[in-house]
Amino acid sequence: MPREVTLVDANLGNLNSVERALVQVGASVTLTDDPNVVATSRMVVFPGQGAFGPATQAVIDGSMGAALRMVIGRGDPFLGICLGMQMLFESSEENGGQEGLKVLPGKTKRFPDGMKLPNGRPFKIPHVGWNDVQPSGDHYYFDHSYYVELGDSSDLMWQTSYGPIEFPAAIRHENIIGCQFHPEKSQTAGLRFLRTFVLGGRS
Amino acid sequence: MLKRRLIPCLDIKNGRVVKGVHFVGLRDTGDPVEAARAYDLQGADELCMLDITATVEGRQVFLDVVRKVAGQVFAPLTVGGGVRRMSDVRNLLMAGADKVAINSALVTNPHLVPQVAERYGSQCIVAAVDVRRVPALPGEEKPPYEVVIHGGTRSTGLEAIGWCERLAELGVGEILLTSMDCDGTRKGYDLEITREISRRVSIPVIASGGVGSLEHLREGLADDGGMADAALAASIFHFGLYTIPQAKQFLGEHNIPVRPPELNRGY
Repeated sequence: MPREVTLVDANLGNLNSVERALVQVGASVTLTDDPNVVATSRMVVFPGQGAFGPATQAVIDGSMGAALRMVIGRGDPFLGICLGMQMLFESSEENGGQEGLKVLPGKTKRFPDGMKLPNGRPFKIPHVGWNDVQPSGDHYYFDHSYYVELGDSSDLMWQTSYGPIEFPAAIRHENIIGCQFHPEKSQTAGLRFLRTFVLGGRS
Repeated sequence: MLKRRLIPCLDIKNGRVVKGVHFVGLRDTGDPVEAARAYDLQGADELCMLDITATVEGRQVFLDVVRKVAGQVFAPLTVGGGVRRMSDVRNLLMAGADKVAINSALVTNPHLVPQVAERYGSQCIVAAVDVRRVPALPGEEKPPYEVVIHGGTRSTGLEAIGWCERLAELGVGEILLTSMDCDGTRKGYDLEITREISRRVSIPVIASGGVGSLEHLREGLADDGGMADAALAASIFHFGLYTIPQAKQFLGEHNIPVRPPELNRGY
């Protein structure tokens, strides 16, 4: 029996690639923008790309936000991808300050502007490309300007460094998994990550 | 640490790869879907597809190609060519592009950048900037570079470095810098302008135009070379001169940080 996964369409970007990657690793995917369907799901993937702003605020404050909190609170496996992970925390610095879903302690911060690296290159934002995560050393594809600063360091699952900044590449708290990278764009490593989540509900 | 990216680029005309494609062990079809799939399986860090068709029908064909390619790969996909307005950006993103490259419209309609950034985020906007060297005026130490548009047929009078700084302020996520002087020569990137822009601008720079050997990729990415964050190339991969793993091995041996080649799709 394929695992049934609900993929949340909160109008935060094109979800075709996430859906296809989940199907590739054996999931049976229900793509929905209906909070009622999400609220009754037993395994949820919440992707997001773009900016933490009016669009995310509408999700957080609306019935979809309530549905996401319900799934998480009930203890069902939950995966937040990129902006979908950042939204789990208390707040974001983006767009003059935004509130998150507040299911985990921590906040989302912007990489520091205007820095030079020791090799003479500017510290470039966004952080785009393939970076390794620790402890495994596997590479995943990132594309983001903001990163999560955890309020509870025991939520750290994998760490990545970019220039002088160390940040969580993936987080884990009970039934919640989150990743800053894009597993659906990370070739074999990304599919492996999704498969582990789908099979075990954990990565 | 963040690795430098290797990006094969497919120029698409009327739904076919132009310049021809000869992969080792693959039929030569000129089919962009087959080409993109092969590069993805070889572990390309990202794929770029540019539509060089100038017709309305061609655009529809291209959207269809983007849809098919996006349905075959598990790597980031940057797509561009003829992007003029918000609806073009939306159509490409909905077809499965992760990032949209905007070229001439940056000059003719710079307001497009903040509009797209607000709706979809800066990370999905790649500014495709074509530059060429112009003769130095009396009193100028070095000949400056100017920005050209419409495939190099129109001069803009914009100085390249200042323009790239302005684009970063406007909110583009990356710069795809192509030297018109070097493009198609196989003599290597224009290291001078690539280095200047990579050093001055606070967003990632993709070097493009002129690659004929693996050494050219290295030069473009090296700290003492072009300092680019990513290297784009077309013909050296299309003609089967080198595979992506060969290029990565070469770069790795020459101290360029790259993601190790991925050799199979076992997971």
